[in-house]
Amino acid sequence: MSLKYITPSERFKRYLPKDYVELIDYGPFGKTQDEAGPGNMGQFKELVEEHPMCSGCWMAYYIRLIFASLPKPEETVTIGTAGCGRLAISQAAVPFIYGNYGDQNAMASGLTRAFRLRFPDKTKDVITIAGDGGTMDIGFSMTMHSWIRGEKFTTIMLDNEVYGNTGGQSSGMSPKGAVLKMAPLGKDFEKMPATDLAKAAGCVYIVRMSPTNIKKAAKVIRRAIFVAREVGPTFIQAYTSCNIEYSIPTEDVFADAKAQEKDRFTFDEYMTDAAKEVIERVEAEEKAAKKAKKAMEA
Amino acid sequence: MAEKKKIERYNIRISGLGGQGVVTTAHILGAAMDNAGKFASLVPFFGSEKRMAPVEAYVRASTQPIYEVGEVIYPDIIMIYHSQVVTHGKSYTMPFYTGLKPNSLIIINTDRDVLFPEDVEVLKNLNATVVQFDATALALKIAGTELATNMAMMGMVLGLTKLVNIDNIEAAVRERFLGNSFVASGGTAALDSAIEKKFKKKEDLLAKNMEVITATFAMADEVDMSTDETIIQFDV
Amino acid sequence: MSYLDDGRPQPVKKLVDMDYLLNEAPREKHFITGAQAMAEAVKRANVDMAIAYPITPQSEVMHLVGDVFAQGHIKEYYRAEEELGTMSAIAGASRAGVRLFTATSGPGLMRGLEAIVSWSGHRVPAVLGILTRVINAPLSIQPDNIEMAYMMHCGAVMLHAENQQDTFDFTLAAFAIAEKVDVYIPVAVATEGFFVTHAKGYVDMMSEDLGYLDFDSVASPVPAMDNETPPARIQRDAPVQKSNFMSYLIHSVWQQEIWDSNKRAMKYIYQYLGGPIEVQNPEADVFIVASGCAAAQAREAWRYAQEDGLSVGLIKVKAIRPFPADEIRDVVKNAKALIVPEHNIIGWLCKEIKATIPNGGIVVEGPRVYGGMTLPVELIMKEIHDALGLEYDLQL
Repeated sequence: MSLKYITPSERFKRYLPKDYVELIDYGPFGKTQDEAGPGNMGQFKELVEEHPMCSGCWMAYYIRLIFASLPKPEETVTIGTAGCGRLAISQAAVPFIYGNYGDQNAMASGLTRAFRLRFPDKTKDVITIAGDGGTMDIGFSMTMHSWIRGEKFTTIMLDNEVYGNTGGQSSGMSPKGAVLKMAPLGKDFEKMPATDLAKAAGCVYIVRMSPTNIKKAAKVIRRAIFVAREVGPTFIQAYTSCNIEYSIPTEDVFADAKAQEKDRFTFDEYMTDAAKEVIERVEAEEKAAKKAKKAMEA
Repeated sequence: MAEKKKIERYNIRISGLGGQGVVTTAHILGAAMDNAGKFASLVPFFGSEKRMAPVEAYVRASTQPIYEVGEVIYPDIIMIYHSQVVTHGKSYTMPFYTGLKPNSLIIINTDRDVLFPEDVEVLKNLNATVVQFDATALALKIAGTELATNMAMMGMVLGLTKLVNIDNIEAAVRERFLGNSFVASGGTAALDSAIEKKFKKKEDLLAKNMEVITATFAMADEVDMSTDETIIQFDV
Repeated sequence: MSYLDDGRPQPVKKLVDMDYLLNEAPREKHFITGAQAMAEAVKRANVDMAIAYPITPQSEVMHLVGDVFAQGHIKEYYRAEEELGTMSAIAGASRAGVRLFTATSGPGLMRGLEAIVSWSGHRVPAVLGILTRVINAPLSIQPDNIEMAYMMHCGAVMLHAENQQDTFDFTLAAFAIAEKVDVYIPVAVATEGFFVTHAKGYVDMMSEDLGYLDFDSVASPVPAMDNETPPARIQRDAPVQKSNFMSYLIHSVWQQEIWDSNKRAMKYIYQYLGGPIEVQNPEADVFIVASGCAAAQAREAWRYAQEDGLSVGLIKVKAIRPFPADEIRDVVKNAKALIVPEHNIIGWLCKEIKATIPNGGIVVEGPRVYGGMTLPVELIMKEIHDALGLEYDLQL
């Protein structure tokens, strides 16, 4: 059903909320990345337009980017947990499930398997989007075990290195020495090696990055989703600073993100051979489709 | 013996030591009741599951369906497989007759009278009958192994209560030791020969066990349950 | 690889409605444990997915459900990381519109409780087996049923099975009750660990060639999140996040709806299980009111009392939620005493009954055993005699 199920009949349209109709008419459903993707954000009806995040929030930008990069938004379900991120994610025009604290990867395990048994011939993308606390502290065991079991969905960690939503407490992903609430003398142990853990637990595509380059960040998100469909668990650790708790002036948020690219968030992309095969195939297909379309237009 | 209830019903507590076949007895008693078209339920209770550690098992036997579950707290029959249950207090329920109902039956495996005078006083007041006999010696004499002690005990309790007949017991013992899944022709030749060897041994064991049971089953007939004596002592 | 080509057998079943399955299909007698009875019910329930995590005494059930999966009666099955992971995965899978089963015991229930208590609000119509066990500390694995008290306030329907037969019937009925459009909340089927799970009893079962009708993901008060079931959820509005006032309003209305759903389950408890209570000797002066395994002990005591010509009745409470308040009130309106035997120290059933009847003073608080010990029938007999002003010599 997919695209069809969200498309109302012409005569029913006038009874539907305007917001809904606009999404159908001007949203990214059924469109390519060139038509409605990260490259032209602001020029189409985006899946996330409004959110209650703080002014200058780098996480809000990245979430907007995630939704603009989805290969099949009409076949995607996102799962999140407590934290700032869910305030924006829950307002995207994509089904979103909010369970309990840190259980997003357990929920996604059940959901992905149930989708596969109900729709063996279809692609349904499941993505968990949670903070560093939800992914690596309270949800740690469920995150790790979903990877160990080889569950086929994508995990995105919005790493702002702090519990922002509850008021700035130290998390396992906070850097050593950071003075935060609940670490009044400075955090006395290292930032958790999330990507190393993911690798050890069997993730087949892993990226650590500070998403300053829109094109690159979008490519990573799409790769993670494509690989999860066919090969196994994929993981993105993205720096999404908290300008409030780390006192980053709004105008310096981008500069901070750039600086982090050379510090704790140097770009690191890992993929298994099987993941590489999928990526090369899908990207070649996309290229070919683009070429064919151009030729048609010419 | 217990005054006849309207429903013929016995709640049996078996106390012994690990390795004496306490739980095995419970299973065979249950199966024998089932074979006789009656009802039984059984509850094993293991401690540390070691040899010589206290073990208890409970059997409920009745002519009617049984609803209740769990350990028998208030027994009308107590079977003691080892004198240490009494003399060393190797039992989950102390003293061993805790919860015994009036007019009930106790069977103790011992070569001598092991009851203390104060115990006898309590049992007298409960109008209990205590049958003491050396089941182990009997097992050694007939079957050539003290492992048949439980069979001697079982023959005695069934002989005294007449809950089932000898055929019911034999079917139950057979089922327990030979199982009903044995297929003589199944498996590889090597496996066949191994099983057959074992089977032969088991057939022997079965025959010996039945001999012990039959002997004590018959012995029970000599017991005069109407006597006023609290303690009945057997020489084997 | 999908479940269709993973090499397991694919048994061909005749799918029938629950009325036929439970009340009309011919049955045969089997002598099986309570754990087997629960797994046999799951086998006939046409379950899509079961998620397991071990804990004594529940493990037996979920091992057996694993075998049922291997035999092809269930499409998907896996062992999760721990109970919170299990119960969360059930909540996640439920969003895809599938029939789900899991089970746990005492401390496992406590560990999974955060997720379990949100199932009702998430409208997860899963069936949860609770094979009761002591909650630590100190450590024990015995069948105290105090964990059921923690489950009583989360909106789930709760059935309490007396024996192996109940365990089979209640578990099957649970799927039908949970999935009714006007119910659509989880159903917990509890029974005592060991006393029922590890003991054999007679169970009349229908053929395993029969199965319950497929899960209907469209017949639901909330659409499955499968991007297939209209109305499509692409509205960009998460109302609970909008303002405190919206949040208060939505949450309170939602809670009312959950408890109304719970109440609406009652008519299906009548339909499939013949009602939430069983009554023997309704004219009696003294009633034993009990649920689960305590009802078995109570039944034995009631039988002895009958033989002694005592005016004693039995009320077996099958449904703990929705609680059969009207039904109990009606039966005991002329009773002089109610005896409530229980396998826990707090007496949760006793409290419910006291809160239900206008003259709570007639309720005898007990007998209760806890820590998982046996509830002797003699203790109930003692209370019966006391209530009738008769002597009963209970020597310890």
